[in-house]
Amino acid sequence: MFDQNMRILVVDDFSTMRRIVKNVLKQIGYSNIDEAEDGADALNKLRSRRYDFVVSDWNMPNLDGLEMLKQIRSDEQLKGLPVLMVTAEAEKEKVVTAIRAGVNNYIVKPFTAETLKQKMEQIYERLSK
Amino acid sequence: MPDEMDEIIHDFIVESDEILESLDEKFVELEKDRTDQQLLNEIFRDVHTIKGAAGFLGFNQMVELTHATENILKKLKEGQIPVTPEITDLILESVDYMKRLLEHIREKDGQEEDLTDILARLKEIDGQESESISASGHEDTDTKKIGTILEEDGKVNSEDVEVALKVQEVARDSIETESPPRIGEILTATGKVSEDDVKEALRKQGKSAEPEHKPQKEQTIRVDVERLDDVLNLVGELVLGRNRLLKISSNLEARYPDDPEINALNETMAFLNLITTDLQIAVMRTRMQQVKKVFNKFPRMVRDLARSRDKDVELLITGEETEVDKSVIENIADPLVHIIRNAIDHGIETREERKEQGKPETGSIRLSASQEGNNILIEVEDDGRGIDHELIKRKGVEKGLISPAQAEVLSKEEVLELLFMPGFSTAAEVTDISGRGVGMDVVKTNIGKLKGSIEIKTERGKGTRFLIRLPLTLAIIQTLMVEVNSEVYAIPLSSVVETVRFPESEIRTVNHQEVIQLRGEVLPLVRLGELFGYGGRNGSSTSYIVVVDEGKKKFGIIVDRLRGQEEVVIKAIEGDLISTEHIELIAGATITGEGRVVLIIDIAMVMDTLAKGELLNA
Repeated sequence: MFDQNMRILVVDDFSTMRRIVKNVLKQIGYSNIDEAEDGADALNKLRSRRYDFVVSDWNMPNLDGLEMLKQIRSDEQLKGLPVLMVTAEAEKEKVVTAIRAGVNNYIVKPFTAETLKQKMEQIYERLSK
Repeated sequence: MPDEMDEIIHDFIVESDEILESLDEKFVELEKDRTDQQLLNEIFRDVHTIKGAAGFLGFNQMVELTHATENILKKLKEGQIPVTPEITDLILESVDYMKRLLEHIREKDGQEEDLTDILARLKEIDGQESESISASGHEDTDTKKIGTILEEDGKVNSEDVEVALKVQEVARDSIETESPPRIGEILTATGKVSEDDVKEALRKQGKSAEPEHKPQKEQTIRVDVERLDDVLNLVGELVLGRNRLLKISSNLEARYPDDPEINALNETMAFLNLITTDLQIAVMRTRMQQVKKVFNKFPRMVRDLARSRDKDVELLITGEETEVDKSVIENIADPLVHIIRNAIDHGIETREERKEQGKPETGSIRLSASQEGNNILIEVEDDGRGIDHELIKRKGVEKGLISPAQAEVLSKEEVLELLFMPGFSTAAEVTDISGRGVGMDVVKTNIGKLKGSIEIKTERGKGTRFLIRLPLTLAIIQTLMVEVNSEVYAIPLSSVVETVRFPESEIRTVNHQEVIQLRGEVLPLVRLGELFGYGGRNGSSTSYIVVVDEGKKKFGIIVDRLRGQEEVVIKAIEGDLISTEHIELIAGATITGEGRVVLIIDIAMVMDTLAKGELLNA
């Protein structure tokens, strides 16, 4: 599994959601967490220091989650960064778009700590294959 | 982690509240331009955001309602159903339910709202159009799909795209690590299109998927209001201490004029004085908020009211970025609601009436805020029928507020004053809009509490204008210290016009009211000593008169002595420290530079006492 100390960036325009996601991450043992309020803010942060994992909302002003993901994948420095996308409901078309753009996994909100852990384990397993 | 959860729920309430407030305004905006795609996207995202967080927090009713609303918003933004006033009404109604649900969450009352009706109506609209949507197929909200573009270009048909999508799905399910083949790749591989066609389509896709750019958010942090209030209180104490120190150091300087230590002390005092003033201003600014916070709720209110009264009313807002103290923001909303309701209910005429009078069918209400020296000026102006002075007089007599004889001699301004008297309401019938048992008297009292004043200007057939003047901040004011019967009182300097000295012999009594003639103007007088029960006259042959101005009406206050100007910090008086007979005349208390507790006189209330006396005596 991922190192419990890895640095995680939580991206969401709604600060309550950021807190909720942080809270859930803490429940499964991750506490090294930063926040960004939209895709543009996240890219700035990602380019200014090292992060090991991104949990991002989809629908955000300025730069949405999908565009951010595309830019991460086309950035030499960032392209290997694991990204977990949070979507509101299982909208299949959206998920397809995200997978095509190179998302590592997606999670439907509301989710439990257990589901989040499971998704992160899946990502870890695929990456370490 | 119960505390953590409490905090998250608190955040949720604050943030959702802001979003819901902003939605009202966004919808009014949307009705002006029903095709504003960016605005529709924003509205969708707002509701979507609340839904997401509510889901985590287990607010199921909120999830259900936001979900149903979101479905309709999705169709609006994708142009599947048009933005009509009916749909806007319905969504706004649903937003109102969301506010109520949020209120239950805030109150932790565990209550639920009955959402059956609203959900059914939302679902009805949602269902109506669903057939036409399924025909339009896999439409992506953000980016046009390659398949769609190729289809539009006539390179492939919809069946080809469907097949390719299925292929892709299967491929994704079976391949774990590799990204699944792209639609373009599948279509080229199966020989449906050429590589060039795909490249062209990709170029078009890039164009239509340009991200929208919005200005960066401001750098702000949220601070609990209590903390700001604490800081303000501490600064208030600091100002009091500074005032005392200033007094002491100036006394010392007078006593030891050549002492170098005293000179150094004075220099330091001057510096401390400057810094304290700056700090005071800086702290007050942290409590300042844009009046936008209050004004924001009016577009929605005006829209709803106008619709329910079947009138066309346009609300024009200017100066919403003007900043005022938080307490002003909190207390000015109700008076403004009342004035605006009145304007729509009584001021603006029906379409037919307006047409007959050659006015545009759409009535307009102008709401503006601006800074005027140390005051802020809030104006509400309508272009309606204006106030009927004769009608007001008749009502006043009917309600027993004035006698028919008094009605005859009242000036136009005095007639308007009647509007603010308790028990006065011109609404012939009690409507659900204006007649809520609250009259203009409450408006005046609320504004009075803010140390503000209200003035009405009206012209028959042209419209009515309310001018509300409020101090920028309430906590620290300049006062004139006066003395009566060896007690010191403070009069807010903002009300003081001038001070004059008059021989007692020139004071006349007209209709049981003492007056003087000041430069040809008759000035009613009130003896401060009498007001506070010390007895009126001190036996000296000359009087000091403080001429004050309250809402364009001038009167004089007779005092024993003038002591000078001082900046004071108003402290509210709690409990029954003063006899109830006089408490309404007192705006608060303060501590002077000499360490003395001084009561601050509420000029508006003194004016009211005087006015009552006048009417009784007339």
